[in-house]
Amino acid sequence: MQLQDKYRVALLSAYALALYGFEALLPTPIPWLRLGLANIITVVALMLYGFRTAMMVTLIRIILASIFTGTFLGPAFMLSFSGGVLSTAAMGAVFLLTRNLFGPVGLSIIGALFHNLAQLTLAYFLFIQRIEAVLIISPVIILIGTLTGLTNGVISELLIRNILKKKDGTLQNVH
Amino acid sequence: MADRLLFLVLLIGSVAGIFIARDALPQATGVVIDVAGKPAYNFPIDVNRTVTLHGPYGKMVVEIRDRKVRMKEAHCPNLLCVKEGWISKGVIVCLPNKVVITVGGGTAGPKGVDAITR
Amino acid sequence: MNRKRLFFPALFCLSVVLLSSCSGGNGSVYRQSKALMDTYVTVTVVSPSKDKAERAVQDAFSTIERFGDLINFFSDRSELSKINRNAGIAPVKVSAPTLDVVEKSLYVARESEGAFDPTIGPEIHMWDFHKKIKPSDSDIREKLPLVDYRNVVVDKKNSTVFLKKKGMMLDLGGIAKGYGADLAVGALKRDGIRAGIVAVAGDIKTFGLKPDGSPWNVGIENPRQKNASDEIMATIRLSDEAISTSGDYQRFFILDGRRYHHLLDPKTGHPAMFCRSVSVITDKGVFTDSLATAVFILGPERGMKLLQKLGMNGVIVDAKGNIHITPGLKGKLTIEKDH
Repeated sequence: MQLQDKYRVALLSAYALALYGFEALLPTPIPWLRLGLANIITVVALMLYGFRTAMMVTLIRIILASIFTGTFLGPAFMLSFSGGVLSTAAMGAVFLLTRNLFGPVGLSIIGALFHNLAQLTLAYFLFIQRIEAVLIISPVIILIGTLTGLTNGVISELLIRNILKKKDGTLQNVH
Repeated sequence: MADRLLFLVLLIGSVAGIFIARDALPQATGVVIDVAGKPAYNFPIDVNRTVTLHGPYGKMVVEIRDRKVRMKEAHCPNLLCVKEGWISKGVIVCLPNKVVITVGGGTAGPKGVDAITR
Repeated sequence: MNRKRLFFPALFCLSVVLLSSCSGGNGSVYRQSKALMDTYVTVTVVSPSKDKAERAVQDAFSTIERFGDLINFFSDRSELSKINRNAGIAPVKVSAPTLDVVEKSLYVARESEGAFDPTIGPEIHMWDFHKKIKPSDSDIREKLPLVDYRNVVVDKKNSTVFLKKKGMMLDLGGIAKGYGADLAVGALKRDGIRAGIVAVAGDIKTFGLKPDGSPWNVGIENPRQKNASDEIMATIRLSDEAISTSGDYQRFFILDGRRYHHLLDPKTGHPAMFCRSVSVITDKGVFTDSLATAVFILGPERGMKLLQKLGMNGVIVDAKGNIHITPGLKGKLTIEKDH
């Protein structure tokens, strides 16, 4: 990887970690309302710098975050990791295969969806062996994911427009 | 735009799913508590009682009262299970403790069992 | 563009399908009860179609009814009554199920060294648990010589049963229900049913798994139940196994502070005092029924030894209320919290 790319990955990872940390500080009156703010960085990275960058940023963020919070390799980490990897992979696949179909909002929603699916699947096999339990809670999980995906996507879009504007004063097609 | 369509589909789908899931559940007749993936306790819903369990994150107290169930006390990091409150149908999950409380009828007859040997 | 068109509807359909098919395509559970064999019989089957289930259940009921007629102690027309009428006189030709259940009862009598004895007839019929009638000690002693399973002669070739001494009486009440459950399950299986329960009163035979793939949950009654909430002492998960329970609370009365129940020790003629209830688990109902009685009579120590010798499982609640469990039940038995 070029040096510039390495710097970029490091910087983006730092931003992602910061967002994750910020989110952890927010009070959560509602359980299961994981905003997933760090995913904004993933979407931006994907659309501006490509799949590889996005995946690296995601992996670094998840692993470092779990090391810092002491939950590395624990159950929460497993869920986060599988969710993150699958969601980034799905977003990457959709982005690469369908180019201009989805904007950051759509990609973000797809990412959130796959993140949830990965978590539900893993939770079923590792922890809750009752399929009724998983099927019953999944609509709620997916609904929340869709909504947070939307908000994250909107923020991602704003960020991307901003970055591209700064780049050379006009909006450009990504990649 | 495809984005909007996707959003709408998922939004409507998941909301519909919530309603379907709610109605699809039969009247609760039994409470099953799974520990580490295996059913450990099986109680009828119409008897008030408290059950104390122990998991990797300490003590948990499950309360069954007036045909509703809640996780009264737990010591897991996020306490999502306790915040769930009372349920009369559905599940309460404490992931760190690997405990799943399922309230539902399924094929169980009265008293939460399929038959009684006397 | 066409890939996109298919994606959303497919996703939507998938989620709707996943959500609506909660119990899987293996079938639904049907249950029906009928009064037969002087008791209540409940048949539970798993079947994809209601008609198939209905037919199978009716076949199970008629199988039990036919067998019940053969061994009904209180009916003059039954083969059992014919055997008893001809005690000390002549061998009686019987049909295959009767011969089979008599043979099995003698097998259990031998293995339990007489703790279970089908010739207990003369003793048990002197008692009336409704009217609280108890025979005198001398009456009990007088009839005791008639209780001896070794005086039953079974001729397999000619399909006959002969009671050697006059006054002997076979009573198959301690084994017939379990045998009936086995026959009924056979009928269900012949009708293509792959999972279900036949409960003849408290003698239960399970086979297959529930639609969600889990074993059947059977509750064991609390021998000292005080109200509706503590009816069940423990639950056990069974598949392709039978369970029967003998207890001192099933037919009994209390006189002068003492409990008199129907599980008489064939050696003394008096109610056995070592246990409150015994549940036996093994593959056939004919054995769970008779061995539950045998183990009850023998008590916890000798009863456990017998179970282990025969490779069967059981739960014994002794006279003090302590619960003894065979090691093979680990992971299958859940004891309710207050026991």
